[in-house]
Amino acid sequence: MQSKLSDIELIEQTLGGNQSAYADLIKRHQRFVFTLAMRFAKGREDAEEIAQDCFIKAYRSLASFQRQSKFSTWLYSIVYTTAMTFLRKKRVDTSSIDDEDTFIQIENKPSSYDENNVENKSRSYYLNQAIGQLLPDDATIITMFYKGEQSLEEIAQVLGIEANTVKVKLFRARQRLKEKLERNLKHEVKELI
Amino acid sequence: MNSIEEKLWNYIDGSCTAEEQQAIAILIAKDEVYMRKYHELLKLNEEFTSMELDEPSMAFTYNVMETIRTQHAQQPLKAAINKHIILGITIFFIVTITSLVMFVLSSVNWHTADTSITIPDQLNINHVTNFFTGPVIKGFLFFDVVMGLFLLDTYLRRKSVLKHE
Repeated sequence: MQSKLSDIELIEQTLGGNQSAYADLIKRHQRFVFTLAMRFAKGREDAEEIAQDCFIKAYRSLASFQRQSKFSTWLYSIVYTTAMTFLRKKRVDTSSIDDEDTFIQIENKPSSYDENNVENKSRSYYLNQAIGQLLPDDATIITMFYKGEQSLEEIAQVLGIEANTVKVKLFRARQRLKEKLERNLKHEVKELI
Repeated sequence: MNSIEEKLWNYIDGSCTAEEQQAIAILIAKDEVYMRKYHELLKLNEEFTSMELDEPSMAFTYNVMETIRTQHAQQPLKAAINKHIILGITIFFIVTITSLVMFVLSSVNWHTADTSITIPDQLNINHVTNFFTGPVIKGFLFFDVVMGLFLLDTYLRRKSVLKHE
């Protein structure tokens, strides 16, 4: 069972030498950190590696956390930096990341047409599929805004840009996501017909 | 000029001023295009909010904590060889090299055409050999052995961590 203590209280206990407090902190944030990592890595293994790396880095730098922002905001900045480094490393090995199609999540695509599967697919499946087709920055902004409980100012802090720029980027990301969602749903309807 | 969608998103997010909020609310109530678009975006917004988070593997927390514990075990060694010692050694070598260079440069006779450097008496090889006495050499070798063991230990620890990963 997860601790009811606040993030700051858990941090203080961790700094005092109680390692299990940090385990509670991980349990509390692991799903979001992993989801954010998935926006960059696409594969579960790579995403898990990024997420683990983030928590280890956060542990090492815990004493330097100033508490001027939320712990989650600070942690997401680490995730963003780590994921960007991962992406830069990947760019050397693979083709250009500017090509949006590179990020189409192969794993999320149905391997073959199956009538029953199509019928059972939920809206959330299509939403996740569409998010997987977005560029990492767009997917990150949308995820942080809707699931990370982060304000535009906090997202700006994580990404190191102005809050107004985040507002514009969020608007564009939502437009792109809407287009992808519509396109995917149209495609599935065609397949059904 | 903001598009209808942009205005409506700002309205939904609550990221516009109170006056703008009021003006958009009136437009939604009166203009059918605004009303239709607003309901469409509202539905989309609800869908985005209900987005599901991915779940890492069951061993995720355990793996992170294990890595942290392994690093903690190495902490005493790291503390023994702290950065101040390395800094001290660096300063020692910089000062020694700088003094030597300055001493050599100051011994050059810059006024004559002959730029050959005359080695001062203090650096005569016969004097230098006096410095390498038995205890000094033994001390130097002992220091080398300690450094060698330290490097070997670091190498083996790193190898062991990599193996665990």
